[in-house]
Amino acid sequence: MTVVNQRGSLPGSPRLSLRPSLVVPVLAVAFAAVVGLSLIAMIGVSVPKAVAAFVDGTIGSPFALAASLNRSSVFALVGFGFVLANRANLTNVGGEGQIAVGGIAATAVALYGHVSGSPLGLAFVLPTLAAVIAGGLWGGLAAVLKVKSGTNEVISTLLLSFIGVWLLYWSVQSPALLRKPMTSSATLPESLEIPDATQLPLLTGDYSFPVHVGLPLTLILAIVVSVILSRTTLGFRLRAVGLNPVAARRAGISYAKTVVFALSTAGALGGLAGALMLLGEQYTLKDGFSSGYGFDGLVAGLLSRGSIPGVIAASLLFGFMRSGGINMEMVAAVPTALVVVIQGLIVITLAGASLFIEKLERR
Amino acid sequence: MTSELFAVFLGSSIRLATPLLLAGIGEMVSERAGVLNMSIEGMMLMSAFAAAVGSWATGDPFVGLLFGIVSVLPVALLQAFLSNTLRANQIVSGIGINILVLGATTLAYREIFGARSRAEIPGLAKVKPPLLGDIPVIGPAVFEQVWLLYAGIALIVIVALVLRFTSVGLAIHAAGAEPKAVDKSGLSIARIRYACVVFAGFMASLAGAFLSIGDIHTFTEGMTRGAGYLAIASVIFGKWRIGGTSLACLLFGAATALQFQLPALGIGVPNALLIMLPYLLALLAVGGLVGRQMAPPSLGEPYRR
Repeated sequence: MTVVNQRGSLPGSPRLSLRPSLVVPVLAVAFAAVVGLSLIAMIGVSVPKAVAAFVDGTIGSPFALAASLNRSSVFALVGFGFVLANRANLTNVGGEGQIAVGGIAATAVALYGHVSGSPLGLAFVLPTLAAVIAGGLWGGLAAVLKVKSGTNEVISTLLLSFIGVWLLYWSVQSPALLRKPMTSSATLPESLEIPDATQLPLLTGDYSFPVHVGLPLTLILAIVVSVILSRTTLGFRLRAVGLNPVAARRAGISYAKTVVFALSTAGALGGLAGALMLLGEQYTLKDGFSSGYGFDGLVAGLLSRGSIPGVIAASLLFGFMRSGGINMEMVAAVPTALVVVIQGLIVITLAGASLFIEKLERR
Repeated sequence: MTSELFAVFLGSSIRLATPLLLAGIGEMVSERAGVLNMSIEGMMLMSAFAAAVGSWATGDPFVGLLFGIVSVLPVALLQAFLSNTLRANQIVSGIGINILVLGATTLAYREIFGARSRAEIPGLAKVKPPLLGDIPVIGPAVFEQVWLLYAGIALIVIVALVLRFTSVGLAIHAAGAEPKAVDKSGLSIARIRYACVVFAGFMASLAGAFLSIGDIHTFTEGMTRGAGYLAIASVIFGKWRIGGTSLACLLFGAATALQFQLPALGIGVPNALLIMLPYLLALLAVGGLVGRQMAPPSLGEPYRR
């Protein structure tokens, strides 16, 4: 993956240890963590107790570890999509909506697609594929708008996100859609639980360590996306369009096709993330299903500065941070909002430092 | 629809459109100057929180409003600093600010209010303008509104006049269209853009305060719920013009008001569809279905000499 870096210059010797693009994010995370710890002290909670609760929530039990890993896969998939589209200088901020439509499609097929009797794992593969297609179409819509009328994809993917999230709300509110049959007025606005056969298999088959097949799938996709970006003509086209659309067009690269490919692939990865969340963990579709994971994945993509290993690192960080934050609230009475503050600080610091990083890297 | 119900509908449309209108006009000014200010959402939330705290602590909603305005200043300066001085990606920095404010206000809310959540907070007074307010039925239902709305309308008229008839307006427009030319003419792009972002922050602070101490007299975590993004959509819908943006905000306000009105009329339109409507309309607008888009040419691009 180190053929040509994102800014199109050849990387220097393998001085990996002190590259600014690695050091600065680490510093940003450290800075945010220090602010977080000070805030904990400020609100009058014992810092060691809070830290212990945080660690306990991340790696304290097999269950916590598995939950963190599953969550990290979701963030990583959205992040891969972001990086891929960003290679073509496109910014996909629609992860949240892509997860939502993925969740809707997966639920619909798992519950009403008559798939639970299918052989060869098709029972969970088909709902997953439905989610991938739904997410791909959702992302592709933004691409079509971009190509046809020059609509800025940031705005369109963001609006599509809101629409997707409300579409999900609608699906679980309306008995004509995915809401479970109303037996009384107290029936919750959620879908039925998906059949066992459509749930993603667990790696160990043991519910005390519920890591599902999404994790290896994410790692495989990490390799696939890396190879596409660095070693295929497809990756070259993305970069060419990203660096100079006019020159790319002169060179015979179709701008429209590249944009559609980039944004619908990003959307498909978002849809897949939604499938993992529904088929692997939640099993019923509820309002608030996407729970901000689309934005966390986006942030992971941003922090990575275009590198797939970077996405993985950031996703692990956020996946574990979320788990730790939840436990910190339950055990040490530190609101999870603290984790949100830390995340915000990381994004702002890195956004502000990007000019600085580029200057250092150019030297 | 009876005339009374219609009057209530009009009144609540205007009330629900007000925060969008205030924030939308601020955003429009910032975008005209070339800064895509994604942090409107965070600015509104910051002010909604600070205004609620100020009003609750002092018992005076006007002091609350001042709290709101002052609290947004550092947020706006941070956005301006990131997007002008550090030339950061404006979308990324905006989203980062929104995340930070969401976390910070939620944290502070729990710390300050804790068990006293949902406490009633003294709110801004409603006024009934002379003449208009005396019309039977329509007067109280439509025109009796929080004074901040009327102050906001006056501000928007002033903004329209400044943009159209003064050299300041010309400079703002030029900063978004031809920053290089402005720079060569001796004006500072940085100064113009800083000022416009701070102005957007000021308008967003009024919008946020309207939400918490103007409309519902309480603060809830993350209470803006995407209103800032809707304000951005209204600017696009309105093609970066005052009239168009205002109209878009009213339309979005009316779509939101319909959620409460249609069930009352016994019309069974799914609630979610109505909530979605403003976003759908905005998507159609940015998709070019309501005419050509005329974004300021250098929108979103940091200027470097």
